[in-house]
Amino acid sequence: MSGAVLRKTLRDEARPLVWWSLGVLAIVLLMALLWNQVRDVYTAELLSAYPEELQEIFNFGGAMDGAAYMNIEVFSIILPVLFVVFGVGRGARLIAGEEQEGVLEPVLATPVPRWAILLQKALGLAVGVVALTAATAVATIIGSALGDLAIPATEAVVGAAAMGLLGLYAGWLALAVGAATGHRGAAMAVAGLVLVGGYLLHIIGAILAAVEPWRVASPFAQAVDEGPISGVVPWGFAVLALTAAAFLALAVPLFERRDIETG
Amino acid sequence: MIRTRDLTKRYGATHALEGLDLEIRAGGVLGFLGPNGAGKTTAIRLIAGLIRPSRGSAEVAGFDVARDPQAVHARIGYLSGEFRAYRDLTAERYLRYLADLRGGVDPARIASLAERLDLPLRRRIGELSHGNRQKVGLVQALMADPPVLLLDEPTQGLDPLMQREFLGLIAEARDRGCAVLLSSHILSEVEAVADRIGILRAGRLVALDAVDALRGRAVRRLDLVFAGPPPAEVVAAVPGVRILGTTDRTLHVEVEGSTAALVAALGPHAVEDVVSHEPDLEEIFLSLYADGGEPA
Ligand SMILES: Nc1ncnc2c1ncn2[C@@H]1O[C@H](COP(=O)(O)OP(=O)(O)OP(=O)(O)O)[C@@H](O)[C@H]1O
Ligand SMILES: [Mg+2]
Repeated sequence: MSGAVLRKTLRDEARPLVWWSLGVLAIVLLMALLWNQVRDVYTAELLSAYPEELQEIFNFGGAMDGAAYMNIEVFSIILPVLFVVFGVGRGARLIAGEEQEGVLEPVLATPVPRWAILLQKALGLAVGVVALTAATAVATIIGSALGDLAIPATEAVVGAAAMGLLGLYAGWLALAVGAATGHRGAAMAVAGLVLVGGYLLHIIGAILAAVEPWRVASPFAQAVDEGPISGVVPWGFAVLALTAAAFLALAVPLFERRDIETG
Repeated sequence: MIRTRDLTKRYGATHALEGLDLEIRAGGVLGFLGPNGAGKTTAIRLIAGLIRPSRGSAEVAGFDVARDPQAVHARIGYLSGEFRAYRDLTAERYLRYLADLRGGVDPARIASLAERLDLPLRRRIGELSHGNRQKVGLVQALMADPPVLLLDEPTQGLDPLMQREFLGLIAEARDRGCAVLLSSHILSEVEAVADRIGILRAGRLVALDAVDALRGRAVRRLDLVFAGPPPAEVVAAVPGVRILGTTDRTLHVEVEGSTAALVAALGPHAVEDVVSHEPDLEEIFLSLYADGGEPA
């Protein structure tokens, strides 16, 4: 395998990644710098007014500190949404989007096997997610220093990794559905449904005891249950990575066998 | 080099291609003609391994397309009927990308093709005119000098000069021993480069013959100008001849195949002038087209 598809995927990704990283950096730094202004508002009394279930979802059972603040304000909604949107957008475009534009056909008529094209695009997407994850970790570490949040670097990395794994899961799911069907819309719809469903399961599972046993199936629960900013690396990380890889593995035989759309 | 057996593609009730049996040897050029929706693109994409047959098989250089697509792809140059390339890349960069995917192509070959087709390599593909984008498609199909070329309406968008250049390139490929399957809506173009013509209609190959043989079957129109009143009965009695009309001392006739019998029959009559309209492939072509192309 020459790796030309991977190189092209990375080149295509470089410019948008700069913007995405700057966006993540801006949000994380802004929120970190706000901590000193708002820390007095986030008193234990205020938080204890929240229902217990919500406290559990956002992991602020303990004392309110910088890590808990960032978990609630940045790592629970904004960053997961950003990573999922990044992953789904890239994932849906890499095969299905290019196919519907008609630009994939000449590539598929070269001797590079379809599975290798899918694999290289998946790797390229993963590298992009890792870059965005690194930007998140760096921003959190810098923000912690500037904003006095006292988040240990290792915990910042674990938090960023949780976001990255969500992005990878979403991205590889969209890529897999796109490769299996050739339809960008289907890729976005399926990935969107799975992620929104996963989020609801994560929330509702915390509230309703009947749903609670199913919560482990939610990618959000797998990613953020320990923090996400946390001193523990949750087992959910391995589950997320393996599930994402399984999506690709399932897509390979379907992609190999199906008709390619004309542009 | 190319062989199909009972190659069939159905989309639900649509018979896009029905039982195509075809063989093109090294150095053979087959031109597909047929109305819109006849199945030309379907046949070419089946052979290129981009879609799967509902039935039957296709082979390139002895490799089955379904079983060994890589071996087939290594031996074909393919131009899609709706060629699209990454708009943000320059033509040069795009061609280099596809060359990498093919495991390397002589850059000098790319440069020489680009020069012959007058393709500006340094421009971004998104900025190129339709015809110049089509040239990018032609260069990528031809650049590796593959033993098999599959070209779906290769000359669309090309100006007449470039069409001629293209025909020259195909003739060179043929002389090198390349097997070529191309589709077109332009008869003269197919005639100029192909040794055989296949006419598809509603998914079926309704005619497949050497260009010369098709010409022999062609209907020729003659205007026979007589010195006196035209001997209509004599002419009508000649086999293969049909009278289209009479104006004054002129008979307008249609002759299928050879005109020898007609000339013999006219012997005793005073013919002043014969105006021949060239054997018109277009005629049989249009008559084969007439029922429309969309399969039931
Ligand atoms: N993906 C598809 N789904 C359903 N029907 C299809 C599909 N692709 C092609 N067809 C049908 O198959 C038939 C053959 O189409 P094809 O594109 O091969 O025709 P063509 O000879 O290339 O026509 P044209 O001269 O317009 O390019 C048409 O009836 C077309 O509508
Ligand atoms: Mg077509």
